Amino acid sequence: MPRTTRTGPAKSPELDHPTTLALLATMWRIRCFEERVARLSRSLLVHGLIHLSIGGEGVAAAVCRQLRDDDAVYSGHRAHGHALAKGAPMDRVMSELMGRSDGLCRGLGGSMHLVDREHGLLGATGVVGGNLPLAAGDALAAKLRGTDQVTVVFFGDGAVQGGYFHETVNLAALWELPLIFVCENNGFAEFTPRAAHTKVERVCDVVAPYDFERRTVDGSDVPALWSAFGEYLARARAADGSGRGGGRGPYLLECLTHRLRGHYEGDPQAYREALAEADWARLDPLARLQTDARRRGWLGEDEVRSIEEAARAEVEAAVRFARASPPAEPDATAGLVYARVGTQS
Amino acid sequence: MAHELPYIAAINEAIQLEMARDDSVLYFGQNLATTENDEFVRAFGHDRVRVTPIAETAEIGMAVGAALAGLRPVVELYMAEFMLVAMNQVVNEAPRFRYMSGGRVKVPLVLKAGYGFTAGWAGQHTGSIYGMFLGIPGLKVALPATAADAKGLMATAIRDDNPVCFLHHYLLTLEPGEVPDGEYLVPFGQAQIRRAGGDVTIVATGWMVGKALAAAASLAAEGIEAEVIDPRTLAPLDTTTILTSVQKTGHVVLVDQAPRHAAASALIAGEIAEHGFSTLKAPIRQVTGLDVTVPYSEPMEAFVLPDDTKIAAAVRQVLGTAPVPA
Amino acid sequence: MSTSNNPAELDDERLIWAFTQMLRIREFEERVKRTFEEHPGVIRGHTHLADGAEASIVGALATLRENDQLMCTYRCHGYPLVLGTDPRAMMAEIYGRTGGLCGGYGGSMHLVDPERGFMGTSGIVGQGIPQATGVAYAAQIRKRDQVVLCFFGDGASKQGAFSESLNIASLWKLPVVYVMENNSYNVITRVEQEDANAAAGEPLAVKAKAFSMPGVTVDGGDPIAVYEAVWAAVARAREGHGPTLVESKLYRLSAHGNIIAPPGVPLHFPEHEAVEVFGAAEEYEAAKRGDPVPRFRARLVTDGKLDAERADAIAAQVRDEMQAAVRYGLDSPFPEPADAVNHVYA
Repeated sequence: MPRTTRTGPAKSPELDHPTTLALLATMWRIRCFEERVARLSRSLLVHGLIHLSIGGEGVAAAVCRQLRDDDAVYSGHRAHGHALAKGAPMDRVMSELMGRSDGLCRGLGGSMHLVDREHGLLGATGVVGGNLPLAAGDALAAKLRGTDQVTVVFFGDGAVQGGYFHETVNLAALWELPLIFVCENNGFAEFTPRAAHTKVERVCDVVAPYDFERRTVDGSDVPALWSAFGEYLARARAADGSGRGGGRGPYLLECLTHRLRGHYEGDPQAYREALAEADWARLDPLARLQTDARRRGWLGEDEVRSIEEAARAEVEAAVRFARASPPAEPDATAGLVYARVGTQS
Repeated sequence: MAHELPYIAAINEAIQLEMARDDSVLYFGQNLATTENDEFVRAFGHDRVRVTPIAETAEIGMAVGAALAGLRPVVELYMAEFMLVAMNQVVNEAPRFRYMSGGRVKVPLVLKAGYGFTAGWAGQHTGSIYGMFLGIPGLKVALPATAADAKGLMATAIRDDNPVCFLHHYLLTLEPGEVPDGEYLVPFGQAQIRRAGGDVTIVATGWMVGKALAAAASLAAEGIEAEVIDPRTLAPLDTTTILTSVQKTGHVVLVDQAPRHAAASALIAGEIAEHGFSTLKAPIRQVTGLDVTVPYSEPMEAFVLPDDTKIAAAVRQVLGTAPVPA
Repeated sequence: MSTSNNPAELDDERLIWAFTQMLRIREFEERVKRTFEEHPGVIRGHTHLADGAEASIVGALATLRENDQLMCTYRCHGYPLVLGTDPRAMMAEIYGRTGGLCGGYGGSMHLVDPERGFMGTSGIVGQGIPQATGVAYAAQIRKRDQVVLCFFGDGASKQGAFSESLNIASLWKLPVVYVMENNSYNVITRVEQEDANAAAGEPLAVKAKAFSMPGVTVDGGDPIAVYEAVWAAVARAREGHGPTLVESKLYRLSAHGNIIAPPGVPLHFPEHEAVEVFGAAEEYEAAKRGDPVPRFRARLVTDGKLDAERADAIAAQVRDEMQAAVRYGLDSPFPEPADAVNHVYA
């Protein structure tokens, strides 16, 4: 059976004025949240292993803000941005990171294992690439149910050299699953540059044998991310005309991003040069979108300040909420190891 | 002569000494040797020291192949859980090859991984999963508890002609200790008596050894003398030293960080029950992790793990100086 | 082993050698198959035959030099025969006897003969690929001018082990040639049911693109074509330019393996899956007509490289050799039961 050409709305959505402001708000929320988490981590109020996504807020916002609550997102160890952009309440995410009983996962999961079923954040897994087959299974469920739900899986370029990736891509392509692979290619797999991992620089080229639609975009260019992802989303959602309903894919959006901070908080980063100030200005998705919006006359100086201030206020409120939340009860794990038959959780 | 080194540096010293001694020893894994300045790269070059992609099946499978071809690879896996990604190579390939060939080949390799990082690393990076590798014929399992043992067991692991899971405890990483200079080998299957005592035998591994010693110190104030035994390798397991101690004390507390039903202590309890039953004056007690995934939040994390208070309480129960809970 | 430097030409004697090896594999496999009927209960467990793959195996192995190495799957009888392993020891191993290649510890799926460069097999699909890649890593750093051949089936190319290994081999320029024997069936699953490339009508060699390495597809029923493709890949590997993926298209003429049954039920080889599962008798008959062994014989005879009389003489000699292997296997005693505890640790 030769591959068929997919049909569907191909027009790329453009980023308009209100959406730009909404995205800026989301990105500021993530940025402020993560900067605060870095400080909390240094003062040990947030413990364990923390991975920040500063520099990657544009991808989280442009992807997740186009999804519905019933579209599933699978994330990994660097999940704060995805969680917030997908709608997970910030105060409960902060509580989770601080190990409190009001945490998103009651303090059982922490930074690497955020789950918010209500908002379609189906899981962040702590082992590189482990989320890929999970997301394919989720997309299969959507397809079998005949809904128009689309599943998105975020992963880094480091996951691409793992077997999970290839096993999943083959089946997603073979079964035409409504799955969008969103690769955040920051050029480093943990502490190692991509060139030490593979001869193939672009992740889009790795899936070339499967010949499904794919694109590499500048992960700091939010309008480009918005329209590229929006186009794939609309096409993945469209019924495939088979009468079985369900969306169709897969697609790969490779976003070239910059990870401003180390692999984890505390990473001495001996493996790379510090970024020059000017380079960061060019790579910072938030600053770029803000400049762009100003140029279009969509944003005044006051509005910039008020968006940022609102984000900071929300973060401080989240910290207060979390501090007020009692530490998780030591024996709270009781009853959570196994699901009870016939219950939802 | 000895020098003081952190636990992790002692492991590195052993790998370096073995690599210098035998040019068939390789060291590769993720995030390893990424710069020319890396001490291993400078000493041994990129042929023998390599960074790999995040691809555990290939890393461990390639170690099997390189071992079949006569080399001695040490695979840096960082986290014991990452072996789960390549469980087939760990359990079903490396330890079985020699046997199925009727002894025609051997597979000398070391799987170096940390475990038990119960410091807020939550569910997927904290497991004490050595129980999964016990009872796999052909596979050896070493769990050093001190810097000296870390060095000596690693050197022995590299020289062993079989696949060895060398599992270092992450909470001991920076723990300093006296380490013998130069070549130093700790034999497999030889337990160490960390503290002598005649009232009760406590068996513990890894991070739990320190907890057991702390419990023993507090018990000594009550006039209870505990003997603390560290098996150092779980496969092979030195049952002789344990049974000899039990014969002397008649009381046993087994400590294990793993969840109760995946703990090596159950295996040791079985050996004692079968071979030392007549010397027991009270039932064996196990102090283990609870049967849960390790939770993230600190109070819950502490709740599910054994500690010195729980160990001391178990000792008092075994000796009849405290009531046994229902 | 070959020392020929001209990829295009195997001289007449080498061609006859290749034909002889193909016949030896076929006859050995036939005798394994017949054992199920003639000596019920002698072969236990699961046995897989390579009939249909003889041309591919011999063509690939004809490229190797003395100290080159290879690893393969549980469908492993053909390779050691070509490398010079004693078929008597192989048959005794399959019969679980003490005179077996591995003393009866391994059986049909786990033949090993390291002295001849046959480094072993894995009984698990795809898992030998990283192992062969590791053998190639050892070859590279020891600089002994060795090349490693890694054989696996089409099903293995969906395993993570395949992708992880090919990426590293390409990155490290390892001296390995990946020979994918695409026999169109993963047990009873047709390749287009499980492979996105096959479903799109593409050759599986396109998978090489993902790892920035060359990929070629060759008619695995033609030993000379396989020889040429693998020769070029071996030459590339030997020169330090890294791996190649060679897809050898062939047709497995027997079922995946003997039936799986509890003790007491006599084992046998069922009908091929094409017939039994898919009802595609025509496909199977066409494959039988294309059987590479008679096809190569006809070609040699037509080209005047081999006369029928010599071909018959070779066949008779091979029959005697494999008859002796069966005899040896049956006569070889069973191992001492208590020896089962040996060889657990080196």
